Formats: sequence, structure tokens, C-alpha cells
Amino acid sequence: MHMHLTANVIPSLCLAQLTIVPPALISILCVLAGVGTFLLMPSRRGAGPRRIGATLALLALAVFGVLLFRYAAGQASQGQPALSPYFWIFAAITIIGALRVVTHPHPVYCALYFVLTVFSTAGLFVLLAAEFMAAALVMIYAGAILVTYVFVIMLAQQTQQSITDASHPLSGLPEYDRVAREPIAATLIGFILMGLLLFVIFDLAPQQPAGEPTTAVATVRQLGERLFSQDLMSVEVAGIILTLAMVGAIAIARRRIPADESTPVEARPDLMELIDDDPHAIPVYGTKNPGQKSYPET
Amino acid sequence: MNELILQHYLAVGAALFVIGLIGFVIRRNLIVMFLSTELMFQGCAVNLIAFGAFYGNLGGQVFTIMVLVIAAAEASLALGLVVLLYRHKNTLDANAWRELKG
Repeated sequence: MHMHLTANVIPSLCLAQLTIVPPALISILCVLAGVGTFLLMPSRRGAGPRRIGATLALLALAVFGVLLFRYAAGQASQGQPALSPYFWIFAAITIIGALRVVTHPHPVYCALYFVLTVFSTAGLFVLLAAEFMAAALVMIYAGAILVTYVFVIMLAQQTQQSITDASHPLSGLPEYDRVAREPIAATLIGFILMGLLLFVIFDLAPQQPAGEPTTAVATVRQLGERLFSQDLMSVEVAGIILTLAMVGAIAIARRRIPADESTPVEARPDLMELIDDDPHAIPVYGTKNPGQKSYPET
Repeated sequence: MNELILQHYLAVGAALFVIGLIGFVIRRNLIVMFLSTELMFQGCAVNLIAFGAFYGNLGGQVFTIMVLVIAAAEASLALGLVVLLYRHKNTLDANAWRELKG
């Protein structure tokens, strides 16, 4: 009987110890961060509420970080392997950068903050002994994808000016960049999801058997050997997907551009005929009548 | 790698994913909406790499390579579509295509 009792009590005691952040605290911090994010979103409010929002979001992040840090330090003093101090720096930069990507009204700044997030995520990958992935992330995201994004932002340069006052920080921005869509619903759903995820990660997960953690560090050579033996098929599929995407993107966005840029295209009817925006149009040679594109019934 | 370290990385991945999700909903600029999906991709990548490092399994990194490939393909196709949509309505506002809601 006594043995039975202790067998029941001990796991629950262990559970209580393993709860790193209690659920109530997670909810409070999520509400705090949610209000902060809501106030940070682009809207017609002035700079004051945005500053308050930034403070609230930073406060929630800092409290959460301190809680985790205290727990990690406690674990480390018991002889467990400690987290690198760089983790805290990279994690903070990643999350703050991501928040700015989402809340900054200028698309170009969004892209630049995204580059910052990519770099700090690459730092996290290095801490996880995935150097190849860190390099690949910087090259592909910061080098290739982001350049494409910035090109498109420049291409679709917004010219509508609703705020004419040049001293206003949002002058020159169109309305759809200055006002968020469904901010309350988005914040609510997002931070409920965040609270649930954090609850599962920090409170429920330790109850599950943890599998076989290992200290083996994978090298780039091992990754390459695995990639080109066991996962060769996925490499081939990746190549096909990239080719398809490239051909598709060219087909979608193609447009014939006249060689002579001095006169606007609209002023030259001969060039206007050449430019065809409809990707599904069937070219018919020998006629300029669009009605003749359909085949005769006979 | 102990479990505590894994959980810290998972929390960062979850935060990235949720922030990307919020961004996709609140932004009306088509380009920034797609930037937010890239944030979600990164959250997934952090999770995959952390699990791979924790269990000493290279599968996490292999999956992350596939995630990067899909992200690159998505970015090129999505930006092509954005350019096409911009030419039609001369705006990047997602609400300009409201009639697609039905």
C-alpha cells in the first residue's frame, strides 16, 4: 500500500517540477504580447500607442526570457548541459525582427527586417550544429529570395500619395500599407495559438517519453552522403520543382517590352498591338482582328 | 542536447510561425503577405533543425532543404503572380481582388 502510494505521488511531484512556465503565466504573457502586437500594427493611431505597444510586447518577451533563463540556469547548476548565451541573443533578435516584418508599414523595411530575421535564424542553426543549413539559409533567403522581393517592391513602386504632408512618417504610403486588416481577430487567433503551442511545449511535452537524445554531431559530409544516397529521389524532385517554378514564373510574368523607351508605349499603337497581357491568348497570325481568333464554324 | 534546450528552440519556432500567421492576416500588401509566409516557413525550419539536432538524425536537415526549395519555388511563382495582378489593377492591395471571395 505504501509502495503504491509513493509510486503515484512521485510522478506527480516530478510533473510539478517539470512545469517550466505555469499555464496561467503563459496566458498572461500571451495576452500582454497580444495587446502589444495589436498596438504595434499599422493603423491610424499615432506614434504614442505604437510606442506603448512596443514596450508591452518587449516586456512580455523579456519576462518569458527571464523565466526560461532562470530555469535553464537552475538546470545548468545541477550539471545539465547549459544553453549557449548566444541562444538568447539570437532568439531575441529573431522574434523582434519577425514582429517588425509584420508591423512595419514600409514594405522595403519589412524586407530588410526579414533579412535580419534570416541572419539570426542562421545563427540559431549554427548553435544547433547545422552549419550547412545556416549557410544555405543566408544564401537562398537573404541572397536570392529577398533580392526578388525587393525587385518586385521597386517594380510596383506605389505612387498614390494620400498623405501630402512630407513630415508625416507615413507620407507617400498607400492606404493599404497604413491600415491593418482584421487586427483584433488576427491577434486573438494568433496568440491563442501561441499560448496553446507554448503550453504543449513547456507543460505537456515533459510528460511524454523523450526518446533517445544524442550528443552525436552531424557533419556536412554526413549530410551530403545521406542526401545523395538515401534521399536521392527527393533531390531529383526538388530539381524538377525548381525548374517548373522557373518556367511557370517566366510564363506568368512575361511581357514584351519595346526596345525604344523614349516614347511611351501607349502612344505607339503598333507596339500596343504586340503587347499581350493575357497569358491564355491564342496568337493568330495574318490577322489583326481579335474576333477572328475563334475558329470558323464550317 | 537535453530536452530543455530542445524546448527553447521549439518555442522560438512557434513564435516565428504565429507571428507569420498574424502578418499574413493583417497585412493588405500582397508582397508583405508573402513575406509573412516566408516567416512561417522559417518557424518550421527551426523546429525541424532542432528536432534533428536533438535526436542526432539528419532527416531534419534534409527536410529543411526541401522546405527551402519549396520556399524558393513559392516565392518565384507568387511574385510572378503579384506582378501580373499589379499590372491589371495598378495596386498591390489584396482587397482590390475582393470579388474573388464570391
